[in-house]
Amino acid sequence: MASVELRNLTKRYGPLAVVDDISLTIEHGKLVCLLGPSGCGKTTTLRLLAGFVDPSAGEILVGDRLISSPANTVPPERRNMSMIFQSYALWPHMTVAENIIYGLKLRKLPRDLIGAKLDAILATTKLAALAERYPGELSGGQQQRVALARALIVEPETLLLDEPLSNLDANLREEMRFEVRRLHDTYRYTTVYVTHDQSEAMTTADVICVMNGGKIEQAGSPEEIYDRPRSEFVARFIGSSNVVKGKGLDGGRIELAGIALQCSGERVVPGAPTAVSIRPHGITLTATPPQKNADNVLPATVVRQVFLGDSRDYMVELKDGTQLRTVTAPADNIPHGSAVWLHLPAERCRALTG
Amino acid sequence: MTTAALSAAPAPRKFGVDVSKPVLYAFAAALCVLIVLPLSWLVLYSFTDAQGALTFSNFYRLFTESTFLEPLITTFIIATSSATICCAVAAPMGWLVARTDLPFSSVVRALVTASFVTPPFLGAIAWEILAAPNSGLLNKTYRAITGAGQDSHLFNIYSIEGIVFVISCYTFPYVFVLVANSLDRTPGELEDASSILGGGRWYTARRVTIPLVLPALLAGALVAFLQAMTLFGSPAILALPAGFHTMTTKIWSLFQFPPKPELAAAASLPLLILTVFLLRAEHMILGRRGFSVVGGKYGAPRLIPLHRWRWPASILCLMVLMLPVFLPYAALLNATFSPVATTFVTFKNATMHNVHFVLFELSAASLALKNTVILGTATATIGTAIALVIAYVAARQAVPGHRLLGFLATAPIAIPGIVLGVGLFLSYTRPPFVLYGTLWILLIAFVTIALPSAYQQLRAAIRSIHPELEDASRILGATRLRSLWQITAPLLRTGVIATWCFVFVGVMRELSAAIILFTSETKVISVLIYDLNESGDLGAISVIGIGMLIITFAVVIAVNRIPGFGNVRFRT
Repeated sequence: MASVELRNLTKRYGPLAVVDDISLTIEHGKLVCLLGPSGCGKTTTLRLLAGFVDPSAGEILVGDRLISSPANTVPPERRNMSMIFQSYALWPHMTVAENIIYGLKLRKLPRDLIGAKLDAILATTKLAALAERYPGELSGGQQQRVALARALIVEPETLLLDEPLSNLDANLREEMRFEVRRLHDTYRYTTVYVTHDQSEAMTTADVICVMNGGKIEQAGSPEEIYDRPRSEFVARFIGSSNVVKGKGLDGGRIELAGIALQCSGERVVPGAPTAVSIRPHGITLTATPPQKNADNVLPATVVRQVFLGDSRDYMVELKDGTQLRTVTAPADNIPHGSAVWLHLPAERCRALTG
Repeated sequence: MTTAALSAAPAPRKFGVDVSKPVLYAFAAALCVLIVLPLSWLVLYSFTDAQGALTFSNFYRLFTESTFLEPLITTFIIATSSATICCAVAAPMGWLVARTDLPFSSVVRALVTASFVTPPFLGAIAWEILAAPNSGLLNKTYRAITGAGQDSHLFNIYSIEGIVFVISCYTFPYVFVLVANSLDRTPGELEDASSILGGGRWYTARRVTIPLVLPALLAGALVAFLQAMTLFGSPAILALPAGFHTMTTKIWSLFQFPPKPELAAAASLPLLILTVFLLRAEHMILGRRGFSVVGGKYGAPRLIPLHRWRWPASILCLMVLMLPVFLPYAALLNATFSPVATTFVTFKNATMHNVHFVLFELSAASLALKNTVILGTATATIGTAIALVIAYVAARQAVPGHRLLGFLATAPIAIPGIVLGVGLFLSYTRPPFVLYGTLWILLIAFVTIALPSAYQQLRAAIRSIHPELEDASRILGATRLRSLWQITAPLLRTGVIATWCFVFVGVMRELSAAIILFTSETKVISVLIYDLNESGDLGAISVIGIGMLIITFAVVIAVNRIPGFGNVRFRT
């Protein structure tokens, strides 16, 4: 049972801090996703964890064992970790079976035990028929499964995955997401998964860390990240969201297009310009005016609407010119130019930081 | 803030004991000795007189005395004419092969490769057999057909024109390869885009294709100029009998008795400076070429139909390639089995005498062969090993300062063989390193010459191995050394063997540096061929030459099957 802990981890290349003072504790057996756009430092964080990169400051602990600090870095081969690489990194001069048992041979396991473990993992990953093939003779999905098998067979304490699905086509990617999660649930090692694909993160992770500019913007469960984004970056990066700017009032309210809007989320500073995020499907759109004095209702005009089959996508404009996206049931056909009323429930209006 | 930044200075990686620094310094020091030492002596000698006093008189003599000025002018004329002819021949041929439906285009490519790998001095000797004014086979045939008198001849290879012709024969492949590669890599869509906007075929060629290839052609012209300028074998074989010198033969003659090493050093410097300058220019021209591949996926180029010109064009190409390949090879084969090199072999007079002579009677041959095998093996092993370590360090950026190592490893490419020969002669005929007269000095010369291309090949080979392959091995529990041994080494094996063979073949054909550095006990095959030419043993040369060609072709054909090794430049 070993948790993984990052304490004030920093990696600088020259003056540039690629990973900037990150602290994070990963409980044993959890699957954590580092999610962010390219260049946000997520891969460097993973390589710091693996020991391929030395930290400039801060430390990494597994359990209470210090494995990385600027003064001393335990080499990758003594970390009891496994990694799946973006390129899969299958050795082209070894067969599938040779690739998979490489780590076991290094651990000097008896031959019959190696054979038994190989058979088991080949069955789990549905590779038994391909054991004697060379990686060059496999499809992308098969190569991916070999990489998985090779990483899992050594039963690591910690499994690291570096964008493992980015080289697969869309259908296969969807299938493999669930496969990764299923294998994680079977073996229950601590897993760190790096991706730039939010739906990949949503489907696989226990905890998502959204990273930006070398820092963790927000860490939490997929529901938390989606429903309660704390910064504009997270709100925009995860799913589609309307982010509008208003002026802070007292009591957690924000003035938008002349109307005071009750918000939830971050604390609102009266008088300060404040950003609010609301998901398109969090807005209720009606063609008839609601009761007088109803809270959080804004009048608007339909600017554009598109029929999408299972829904209808609206672009509406408030009095001050602010545009919002919203969705309705496909049957609610309100022509362009019509006056409409938007109900924005307080719990869906998230006041943001920054 | 400042303290934080300072404490964040990149800490060296720990592999138990950190051996990377000493290794780096050792290699850097070795390379410096290899390169800087001969060049320093070269510069020093060129500014001193026979007594060792500082002087500019060497350069004054170089640029005023007609015995030096004439070779300078001759070299310039030869280099300029050769470069022009090479471009005029290679550019259309490259276009025909890469962009049109020319029949037998792969045969044309193969024949160009054949002339590429033919040692130029061997080609020059073959053309002696063909076109010497009196005894040349072509002139004899001409007299036999026309009934012209004994003293009349069609060709005289012992002339400036003759030298320009022979040099062009074996230099045009440099231009061809650059042009054809550039066309191969230029996506056909770029031309299609012009066509769809209304550009006709010739308009497209003029406004799109030619501008895209122009940098490659220009670079090719520079390389051809460089080759013609620094070549020693062909001018020595063809110009000396005609009674004039080029720069390289002049430098060589300054080592004949009585030796004038200061003058040789002074005459070497302009060659060195010009080479560095021309290579810089080539690099700049090719470096800007990036605009030809901008984004997206491209299909294969659309071939332009030649219609009724298909066969004439193909025949013309093959006719041109008779000159560097068919005719000289036929002359060598003829000389091998003929009692006299310059008579046609028939069923009656065919003889194995030459083969017997080379194998069993020519005592110099066995010594030269032994020396060549020793030097070839040693150079290939040492050169490949050094290049491998530097290439790995540079490709993986494993230690700070890897750039400097890479630069040092490629630097010798800018030192012409004969200049290196002079520099090494000056460096190693004096204490503390008295190596002249031993095989060691030749070994140093050959390793230095082989290093740049060996380094470039191996770096390409290492770059093709994804670093994550090593990372994957380490995270599964293998140490760095074990990962190198189990993952990197097997993947590099073909590349290393190929490089080794290339270096070996390169040693076999090296003449420019060896001609300055050999002594009677340290003769190598190429020098032996040169000596045999002086004594007129053309039959023996043909036997040795054909043997050399067979080995070279075997290596080139084998290595060309390895991806990424298609374009290797031999030094001449």
